Amino acid sequence: MHTDPSLTPEEIRAMVRPDSVHRRAYADPQIFDLEMQRIYGRQWIYLAHESQLKKPGAFFRTRLAQYEVIVTRHTDDKVYVLHNRCPHRGARICMTDSGTSRLLNCPYHAWSFNPDGTLSTVPHRESYPASFDMTDPKYHMERVPHVETYRGFIFATLNPDPRPLLDQIGPMTDIIDNLIDRAPDGEVEIADSSFSLVYKGNWKLHLENAADIFHPTFVHASSVGAARRTPAGKSKMDQDQVRTMLEANGFGKDQWEGIQLKGLANGHTYMTNFYRKGVVAHQAADPVFDRYKAALVAAHGPDKADAVLAVDRFNNIIYPNLVFNAQHQQMRVTVPLSHDTTIIRVHCFRLKGAPDEMFHRAIRFLSTLASPASMIFSDDVEMLERTQAGLDLDPSPWVDFSRGLDTETAGEGGQISGVASEMPMRNQFKAWAALMAGEAA
Amino acid sequence: MIDLETRARVQDFLFEEARRLDAGEFEAWLDLYEEDGIYWMPSQRGQTDPLNVASIIYEDHAILSIRVQRLLEARALVLTPMPYTTHLVTNVVVSMDEDGLVKAASAFLCISMQGGEQKIFAGRQTHTLAPAGDSYLIRHKRVDLVNAGSALPLMTIPI
Repeated sequence: MHTDPSLTPEEIRAMVRPDSVHRRAYADPQIFDLEMQRIYGRQWIYLAHESQLKKPGAFFRTRLAQYEVIVTRHTDDKVYVLHNRCPHRGARICMTDSGTSRLLNCPYHAWSFNPDGTLSTVPHRESYPASFDMTDPKYHMERVPHVETYRGFIFATLNPDPRPLLDQIGPMTDIIDNLIDRAPDGEVEIADSSFSLVYKGNWKLHLENAADIFHPTFVHASSVGAARRTPAGKSKMDQDQVRTMLEANGFGKDQWEGIQLKGLANGHTYMTNFYRKGVVAHQAADPVFDRYKAALVAAHGPDKADAVLAVDRFNNIIYPNLVFNAQHQQMRVTVPLSHDTTIIRVHCFRLKGAPDEMFHRAIRFLSTLASPASMIFSDDVEMLERTQAGLDLDPSPWVDFSRGLDTETAGEGGQISGVASEMPMRNQFKAWAALMAGEAA
Repeated sequence: MIDLETRARVQDFLFEEARRLDAGEFEAWLDLYEEDGIYWMPSQRGQTDPLNVASIIYEDHAILSIRVQRLLEARALVLTPMPYTTHLVTNVVVSMDEDGLVKAASAFLCISMQGGEQKIFAGRQTHTLAPAGDSYLIRHKRVDLVNAGSALPLMTIPI
């Protein structure tokens, strides 16, 4: 159960050095408990998208810190986040990941709750004492105190006195804006299908891997080689999308040149100038993209349409639990379960007003990257699990992240480095140490 | 009514497919597919749409061939140590459609072993087979996992 981690800020600070971090950050369950309190329990955490809650009664089940929660839309159209626990005897109430229901019912003694968590009915009311006041919040499904939405993206926090959402995610809202701007109708919808992958490793390992463009050449060598040996156009299914995606992980010096890594306050990071040298660049003749671009030009005008499409940022990490790839309409959500178990939920979006084929591509990208049979993410997961196993097994204290330490520079809004740098990991741990020590990141 | 000989031939074909996977003969396994053959493993139970709904695998011969090369290549990280499988195919029901294509519905169990860890995949599959010589080639194979839609472990060797 939940331990009381009593680490002083000095002890926390001593775990993160300029060039390394202590293995306890990954391998110590006590540190994980403290992360749930001070990071996932105090920061704004992304939970769901409004398009998953179209009608009153719609709900989506997920996790917030160590708790299972249900995100709901009430009859007043407002979004609530409720602990998935009956206030009567403690039973878990919602047993499905999503759906629509006028009431949330506990099957044990048939208490039923409105989507805002208030108690609707209890059978045999007369057997409860006179003091039993159905309007008393102690008989309601417990609400998470603060819920905020940024352009359809729902965040919540267990912090009773949180800073404004934009103070935390502000430097990264431009990538959410960019995703929405890519929709000719100015609105996105999350796809019904998604993948949930469980890996046996710490949650931070996924975020570090997503900020690391040095590894694909090595980790994805097997699929890159096979994709290169396959002639273009051999597959008749998807205008070569899968083959191109697999091949694109074969980074060489040419592709690296020009890519920059950015590290911002609060642990956010991204890669930019990603497509200058033809990595996952659009094909010369692409009628689907041409039709899409025409729709975007019609909506925004040519200048804004060009500007929107020119954003070539990759793996935009909104610390601590979101990874955005706006240009592929993709989003990954990190859900930590324990110090050595994590779920990655991978979603894609429909751009409203775009040709259907653009959505088919997003679905194809999702499946190719993140299905359990993926030829890409499976190799990443293998490395995350081996890293966790190594850190769990061996008492050597220090994990090195010194690459690029001498060459990163301070730029506008944060750190900048070339591609072969572990600056993003240093940046994430800077925020981690501040949050864990109980200071603002 | 399907004659016994046809039924036996279809069963033999399914068993041979399973044998090739279990023996690690992945290139020979791919030879069982038509050049335009499709392998589809939906992500949802009862899924009908491979374009608007994500799939675990939705690949034609060319992409399956990348998958096979990866299985045979020593550098695929997730394949070290190499996993081994036992595929069981049972409850085979054979029917014929108007175009002379054979439909074979069956149940499967695939036990995979890698580095001391055992995984089990189970479900139903439907083969659409085109006659080729005295046997068949796979035009379309659909694999429905019993736990499609939930969080799944990594899958390396195909079902």
